[in-house]
Amino acid sequence: MPDVVLQARGLAKAFVAPAGRLPVLVDISIEVCAGESVSIRGSSGSGKTTLLQQLGGLDEPDAGKVGVFAHGGGMVPPRKTLGRGIGFVFQNYQLMPELTALENVALAARIAGVDAGPAESAARELLAQVGLIDRLDHLPSRLSGGECQRVAIARALVNKPSVILADEPTGNLDERTGVEIMDLLLGVVAGRGAALVLVTHSREFAERATRRFVLSGGVLSPA
Amino acid sequence: MPWFLHLALRQLFPPGKRFPAFATVSILGVGLGVASLLVVQTVMNGFGEEHRLRIRESFGDCVIVGAAPIANPDALIAKLRLDKEVDGATAYAEGPGLLRRGDFSGVAGVRGIDPADKRQPARQYVTAGKFDDLDDGRVILGYGLARNLRAQVGDRIELWSPAMAERAEKGKAPLPAELEVCAIVRTGFNEVDDRAALIPLRRFREIWSLGPRAHGVILRLKNPAQAAATAGRLGVGHPDLRFVPWQDIKKNFLEAIRFEKTMLFFLMFIITLVASFSIGSTLFSAVIRRSREIGVLVSLGSGRWQLVGLFGVQGLLIGALGTALGFVLTWVMLCFRENILGSINAVFGDGDMVANVYQFSKVPLHYDVSDFVIAAAFTLLTTTVAGLVPALWAAGRKPSEAMRDA
Repeated sequence: MPDVVLQARGLAKAFVAPAGRLPVLVDISIEVCAGESVSIRGSSGSGKTTLLQQLGGLDEPDAGKVGVFAHGGGMVPPRKTLGRGIGFVFQNYQLMPELTALENVALAARIAGVDAGPAESAARELLAQVGLIDRLDHLPSRLSGGECQRVAIARALVNKPSVILADEPTGNLDERTGVEIMDLLLGVVAGRGAALVLVTHSREFAERATRRFVLSGGVLSPA
Repeated sequence: MPWFLHLALRQLFPPGKRFPAFATVSILGVGLGVASLLVVQTVMNGFGEEHRLRIRESFGDCVIVGAAPIANPDALIAKLRLDKEVDGATAYAEGPGLLRRGDFSGVAGVRGIDPADKRQPARQYVTAGKFDDLDDGRVILGYGLARNLRAQVGDRIELWSPAMAERAEKGKAPLPAELEVCAIVRTGFNEVDDRAALIPLRRFREIWSLGPRAHGVILRLKNPAQAAATAGRLGVGHPDLRFVPWQDIKKNFLEAIRFEKTMLFFLMFIITLVASFSIGSTLFSAVIRRSREIGVLVSLGSGRWQLVGLFGVQGLLIGALGTALGFVLTWVMLCFRENILGSINAVFGDGDMVANVYQFSKVPLHYDVSDFVIAAAFTLLTTTVAGLVPALWAAGRKPSEAMRDA
């Protein structure tokens, strides 16, 4: 059996609304192995982002458990391995506006405890890999949407995580740039042996994953 | 440099912006608060120091007086000089006198001093003539008194003492003492400059019919700060004399200045506190505006205390830079204090308040390191707390909520 790097069992989440409890995720279980890509498709408001946040430890589920493989630490709750075992790519890039491309990527390594010098070297190498070697000193405000997302991908990968969680990474990009980013994301993640969990509403991009799911009515089912 | 400190610096001073609005306004606000606090404290210190100096110059470190004039001051002085704490002792006599020059006259506080005393404080304030020319036929006048009499060095004036009135009662024709002005002194202390007339003690005794007696003895001590303890020790065995340390002379006045300084400190500190509240409020807005970034930082692995550090250190930096700016502004304002005061007087027409109320011809100042340390400590504390409150709020939020609310 391939190495499992992300495991969720019986995840449930509900929000409290004026009309009462609104279940968003219902008894969701999933396993993701190293090197594979998993897509989760669903309509707006179906709970895709909520699921990703539970898997990534940004929010606590009402029920169920999530475990992430951490280098040398076995399976641990995702909150304990944020930034090191898990990398995030967001729809709106979410770069620090006051930091340059190089500093944004290096910041993730610095937060993970890497010294400034090695962090910068790793950031430089990754930015070269995503085609931004000539944009190192540019602030996000001087980069295009596609370039910002490349920086965000480099930032997600800089600590060599075992899982990348991507939330609508092409949502803010035009069609051509979106294709480029997807090519890059799938290629770079696979090249590093990490797993990719991709949340998208695009059928086309979802089809490119090795395993595909649909989230509807809070239930995750194979596409 | 820790990453959160680097990010805090970048958020406060974003690249490409020479004067970022938040940092500039916050630092300026704190700087003005600190400067107003320190200017007031330093000037109040100056008033206190000047008054203390004048008191010590006029009365020495300790003044010895009795219910009656001291009968044998020379014997007392000889005895006191043997004490290891006593640096010098000199007898004096003083009393009101009427001075007249032609059609101009004025009331003077006449003091009989030892002209040979090389440490007479008046020596350093001579603006015209020579102190050493003082002899039985001459007088030294305060600047204001000389101006009132229209007298200059070399002019002759007449001096009447109350003892002359006694002589008149006894049927003798009172003749005034004729004295030549040999020097004019200007201490900057209006109470002295407008009234002082100095003549030799020997001549004073003659005009006031005092005989060998003196009104008091002035002591100079090796350690003036310990004047109270020394005075208490020296006073043992002299029940008919009072040994008054300089701290007790015009004690109420000095206490009033100290109290005024304390009250002004609190008033001015409120200004700094208001500036800190503004920083807290603005940092709160910044934290809310950066909610999504906070969520992202958590997703990158940032810990709760690192987030606290990120925003808390911004308050600390504003406090530190504001304090430094406040120190510079204090120095600049104090350098130009006379011009500033002149402008205020010109605009509001309040006249020469410093001279009239505080008795000084210039605004005095005295830098006290402890004032600067206290101002810096209070400012850093309040601005750091102002930064920490929103920082703790930000760090306590769920990252998913932070990202959703932004």
